[in-house]
Amino acid sequence: MISLSDFKHEHSPHSVAVSVKDLGLTYTTSIDKKPTLKARIKTLGRGKKHTRIVRALSDVSIDVHYGTVLGIIGSNGAGKSSLMRVISGIVPPTQGRVEVYGSVSTLLALGVGFNPSMTGRDNVYLGGLAAGMSRDEIDANFDAIADFSELGEAIDAPMRTYSSGMYARLAFSVAAVVEPDILIIDEALSTGDAKFKEKSLNRIKELRTADRALILVSHALATIEDICNEVVWLNQGKLMMRGNPTEVIAAYREFVNARKSASSDEDV
Amino acid sequence: MEKPVVVYEPYRAGLPPMREYMRSLWSRRTFISEFSRSELREQNYGSVFGQLWLILNPLLLSAVYFLLIYVIGGSSDSIRFGHLTASLFLFYLIANSLTGGVKAITSGQRLIMNTSFPRVMLPISATVIALFKFIPTVIVFGIIHAVIGLPYSWQMLWAFPILLIALVMALGMAILISCINVYFRDISSMLPYLTRSLLYLSPILYEATNVSDRIKTLEIANPIFFLLDSWSRVVVHAQAPSMNGLIHASVWALFLFVTGTYFFLSRERDFAVRL
Repeated sequence: MISLSDFKHEHSPHSVAVSVKDLGLTYTTSIDKKPTLKARIKTLGRGKKHTRIVRALSDVSIDVHYGTVLGIIGSNGAGKSSLMRVISGIVPPTQGRVEVYGSVSTLLALGVGFNPSMTGRDNVYLGGLAAGMSRDEIDANFDAIADFSELGEAIDAPMRTYSSGMYARLAFSVAAVVEPDILIIDEALSTGDAKFKEKSLNRIKELRTADRALILVSHALATIEDICNEVVWLNQGKLMMRGNPTEVIAAYREFVNARKSASSDEDV
Repeated sequence: MEKPVVVYEPYRAGLPPMREYMRSLWSRRTFISEFSRSELREQNYGSVFGQLWLILNPLLLSAVYFLLIYVIGGSSDSIRFGHLTASLFLFYLIANSLTGGVKAITSGQRLIMNTSFPRVMLPISATVIALFKFIPTVIVFGIIHAVIGLPYSWQMLWAFPILLIALVMALGMAILISCINVYFRDISSMLPYLTRSLLYLSPILYEATNVSDRIKTLEIANPIFFLLDSWSRVVVHAQAPSMNGLIHASVWALFLFVTGTYFFLSRERDFAVRL
């Protein structure tokens, strides 16, 4: 189980931060929206299936080195978020092996938060403690998080009163302020107003140091091209291409345009 | 080559590496206390009236049930009231742990989908919350005990081991039911009937001595029957509990705790995709 305080890791620049080898992931999810005992009993002996198997990733191998900003692109359902979940240790792989050489902070699509009826402050503490930070560490970072999020007094209001932009701002602030060895941001840059978008982009640029690895999942190709120095393109759970941002993005654009002429909407 | 800090590999059915799991759980112990506190605060127990309610609620409950017994039974005495109150309070420790535990995982969805941590912290917190709610009732009972003039003796120290057994049982139940609810969501709607049945099947509104031997044999299937009987003997009658009763309660508590934990830990890596 990974966390921020479980270890303090020493690593040299350009060494491997995350190594993904022959990764395969299949989900067994329930077909019903809510699996119930009633549904089970009703279909007892009829041989009806209650679960289906989803192949989310197959044979993906990626090495991420310290000092790299890796962008991950691909259409919806390509397996981007699944890959991030495996690297963060939320979902175990079904095949292959993932090695992580440092502390990880993740900002996944759903954002921070545990209980919407608790205040922003409570949620930050609970999220941090669950991720393995100590109370002191959160205390030390809390003011910076609150400042960065620009929530003001709303930090002590229940999170159910937040707008989606406020939610996203708080989530980003938590992930970006703690300064982990490896930071994973999954499509979290697309909410928030233009001013905050710019602020978070600048923050990501600040975090691009030799002793840190960043993994960015986004549909905003221009942003990816701007800040990443390596890009991976996933399609239907398979690695299509990896390498220079300009080349990979060009190839991806061509692929998308070939399938349908509609251009992808650019949104940071 | 540096050594990886964490390795994620496919797993087969069974328990996760226990040493690492326990270490991870221990390092996050503050989460459990912080979560319980925020949850209580959210339920308005942070305010003066909220805390007062924590004491008023069990008192009103026992008053209602006392009225019920009085109406049905036609008479009542102080021992009976003491028994009812003490048993009801311990029963609510277990019932609150179950009600809190059943949704512990399903309502923690956001956190589970975004953060990697030992999931068992969530049902543990549910039991801690139930314990927090139980503590004021102990004080209330202490006062009632003195006011209605129940006997005292050294045998009352048995209350501590009995409470320990009750806690292990409550924890086991919370862990087990939180996991079952991930796979069968309707368990949470059935739970009120389950706890209500437990209430009537256990020696709370009546004493265990009023029950026939045949029924008592059947009550072996009730995990809390002899636990509540021992509790009442100790704290109300100031007598030593029966050894058979203690053994019965301990065996049930350990059974629930071990199966619950095994079931939970071997399944918890699956939770993120099941929610």
